[in-house]
Amino acid sequence: MRKLAVDVVVIGGGSTGAGVVRDVAMRGYSTVLLDRADLGQGTTGRFHGLLHSGGRYVVSDPLSATECAQENAILSRIQASAIETTGGYFVTGPDDDPAFADKFLEGAAKTGVPAREISVAEALRNEPRLNPRILRAIEVEDGSVDGWQLVWGAANSAKAYGAQILTYHKVTRIDTADGHVTAVHATDLKAGEDVVIDCTFVLNCAGPWAGQIAGMAGAHPVDVVPGRGIMIAMNHRLVNRVINRCIYPADGDILVPVHTVSIIGTTDVKVDDPDDLKIEHSEVQEMLDAGEVIIPGFRKARALHAWAGARPLIKDKRVSSSDTRHMSRGMAVIDHTERDGLDGMLTIGGGKLTTYRLMAEHIVDAMCDKLGEKRACRTADEALPGSESGKNYVVTHRLEDREHDRLDDQIICECELMSRKMFTDALANQPKGTFDDLRRQLRLGMGPCQGGFCSTRATGIALDSDHIDIERATGLLRLFLKNRWIGLWPILYGEQVRQTALDNWIFQGTLDVEHLPAPESEVAL
Amino acid sequence: MSTAANTPASRVIVIGTGLAGLVAANRLASGGADVTLLTKGIGGLQLGQGTIDVLGYAPDRVTNPLLSLMALASARAEHPYATIGAAPVHTGLDYLKRLLPDLLVGDPEANYQLPTAVGAIRPTCLAQPSMVAGHLSDGAKVAIVGLRRLKDFYPRLVAENLSRTTLPDGGRVSARPFSVDVPARDGEVDSTGLTYARAFDDPGFRSRFVAAVKPLLEPDEIVGLPAVLGIKDTSAWRDLAEKLGHPVFEIPLPPPSVPGMRLNEALTEKARAAGVRIVNGSRAISARVEDGVVRGITMATAGAPHEYTADEFVLATGGFESGALTLDSYGNVTETLFGLPLAGLDDGPLLHGDYWGSEQPLFKVGVRVGPDMRVVDAAGAVVHPNLYAAGGIIGGSSRWGEKSGDGIALGSAIQAADSILALTPSAPGPVGGSTPEEIS
Repeated sequence: MRKLAVDVVVIGGGSTGAGVVRDVAMRGYSTVLLDRADLGQGTTGRFHGLLHSGGRYVVSDPLSATECAQENAILSRIQASAIETTGGYFVTGPDDDPAFADKFLEGAAKTGVPAREISVAEALRNEPRLNPRILRAIEVEDGSVDGWQLVWGAANSAKAYGAQILTYHKVTRIDTADGHVTAVHATDLKAGEDVVIDCTFVLNCAGPWAGQIAGMAGAHPVDVVPGRGIMIAMNHRLVNRVINRCIYPADGDILVPVHTVSIIGTTDVKVDDPDDLKIEHSEVQEMLDAGEVIIPGFRKARALHAWAGARPLIKDKRVSSSDTRHMSRGMAVIDHTERDGLDGMLTIGGGKLTTYRLMAEHIVDAMCDKLGEKRACRTADEALPGSESGKNYVVTHRLEDREHDRLDDQIICECELMSRKMFTDALANQPKGTFDDLRRQLRLGMGPCQGGFCSTRATGIALDSDHIDIERATGLLRLFLKNRWIGLWPILYGEQVRQTALDNWIFQGTLDVEHLPAPESEVAL
Repeated sequence: MSTAANTPASRVIVIGTGLAGLVAANRLASGGADVTLLTKGIGGLQLGQGTIDVLGYAPDRVTNPLLSLMALASARAEHPYATIGAAPVHTGLDYLKRLLPDLLVGDPEANYQLPTAVGAIRPTCLAQPSMVAGHLSDGAKVAIVGLRRLKDFYPRLVAENLSRTTLPDGGRVSARPFSVDVPARDGEVDSTGLTYARAFDDPGFRSRFVAAVKPLLEPDEIVGLPAVLGIKDTSAWRDLAEKLGHPVFEIPLPPPSVPGMRLNEALTEKARAAGVRIVNGSRAISARVEDGVVRGITMATAGAPHEYTADEFVLATGGFESGALTLDSYGNVTETLFGLPLAGLDDGPLLHGDYWGSEQPLFKVGVRVGPDMRVVDAAGAVVHPNLYAAGGIIGGSSRWGEKSGDGIALGSAIQAADSILALTPSAPGPVGGSTPEEIS
């Protein structure tokens, strides 16, 4: 058993937890972040990649709109390398109410969200695939963000301030004494070792799993209502700006260009278990129909991959009204002192990625109040590691990198232009990582071939690295192919069927992968 | 649209240039038919392993492919082998061996068990002579040798999986990996298999390779190498083995497959020599059918679509991998050229979420054929009296999992060709009076 002692334990490695641990560390507290899986694996990496301009909320939720506009500007500056400032349009579809655009413009003016109506002709000139029958178009400052880079950026910043980031550490127990949290127990899943962390405060940022964590500390049940949303990545950038429908927020009304793909989202279906997120056929069909409204012929474009995420909605009657000063819209802070007679723990629910830094600021402010200390938040003032130059992401950046190293290095994933060195560097940082852990940082296997060519190479290189043995290498290959398929089969049609047939021909036909020595048990993490 | 006026009508049009299309075209032409081969590209052979499978798993590992084929044919009526039968496959294997004696060897009643590029041991029926030393026996000492600048072959992955595998006949091998750095082209660190294959055509390169490898070999080692040992020079591997003083074997890589390209080029050359007219580079986009009879195929040729006409047609267009079959976003599966009726659509969902589970039903979808390989509908009625099918377009098999795709292609191509040739028993062959089997 390992023992640690820190001021603050942060539970949950999504954007909220990563933002919180960075803020806590920057304010001078010793801190540890725990997540049962990889960073951004649960919810943060499972969204559509939209960095809100605030436009989406100018009518439905003006306060959120203002916060989004402000945070958009801050993040584009301090996390430049994770954010592409694509810009966005709100377009009125052929059957949408054109009057909503007037409400939109009025709301934007009130909330400070930059917005400007442009002619349909200008919109079509800049985005030629847009439905030519759109009625109106409004330009906003939407961007796209790589959720994993955002989270890792915050985590690396926290590390630089002395925080420890412990991924694949599952919280098993929270100790209390005399009505105060005293320690958090966790299991290091990869090492199979127990860890006990003595602490004075716990910040529960577990999103859809926050209720389970609060329960471990003996709190009254927290009413978490996970809302499932599905997203579909389409091959290529069908658009170069974020395209939103100019309507009251609904399903399938956003198309976001992220890296080399475009992502359409999303749905919202209440589910009981955030660990059981199905990609329903009917929802896929709904997304494709919604895509047709934005881009005629959308169904004939190539769909690459689908996934589902769970929104961390907390609908808790016991949220204290006195906490509202700490509440960002859509975000709830549960003060367990008042509610459960338990000191030293706050639970955070709701919120959105665009405002993750602001949420963290509110939560850590609340913690400082409880501790009776005044320590100022500085997270908006300092660029995160990797973003010091202030240069925003551009989709061609890997092409530029490969131009520089193409004579010295091999391209292991042609779809996403991942070099051998990128892979071996990431592997050295995460020697116990699965290929999915590496994928989230490298985009390994996320392009059109969905791992058809790169996964065997990744296996060979990982084995050559000496970090793993042959049994694990083979197991990792099996795990990666299995996981790719989870997001493939629900949207398998058109050209991606052709690719899948080729991939099956390679793995079954040529390599006979299924007849490698059977593993004693499948590699799971 | 251009019409047949500027294109002489053929006796037979074969559409597709994978194994099925090339075998059908060769067989028909050597049987005296006037053949035009229509193809968009260079076909499916370069996507595969460059050997001829008949049956590898049924579902257990197969040692006698022809015997297991017969058992499968009688047990599973929906499988293409049930319709094709063993005889045309056997005929086809003999035909191929005689047509390409430098490239294919083997016994229809004994599978080779050959290492793959991940170190699995894969059954296949006919193999290239450059591969057969990979059929290993108990106690064999193997050196798996990689090329540092070739990213599709990882010798340690192959060697360590081989070493922990029990051989199909029992026993074990001891395999060890090493890599050498012999550039195919100066200044290039990311060379493809094809670049290396062209380098191995050059005796000077082979000498440099031998100089790097030979000192590292231990006595009695069999040497496993990536399947890039020459593309034009089909005896490059033999020269290497002699210079190394060790047996060598090639291990096929993911596409583009150099051994597959060798087969493709050799079969294409044979077809040309036998008088087959090859129209390459355009996609077949539509078929003209009058009174149920197929009259012509229109190709999307440069400038304007162009129709090719014939008396008989062999559809050898492959499956989903080539675009011969498509699945749209509403779940409809279509045979894209004729809109033919398909088997395998009525047995529940076409896809499921378990990657390592049973074969995805989608990839078993395809056309049905009768005993003469004419396309039939669900009731067994001939769809078009002059339309035959061969290869991956025929449904009912798990080609990649079973390792049966080549045998199905071969058997159906032979049967389709012979059915067409039988329609005109008086047609003269290139060698007077010979039966097709005797011509190579």
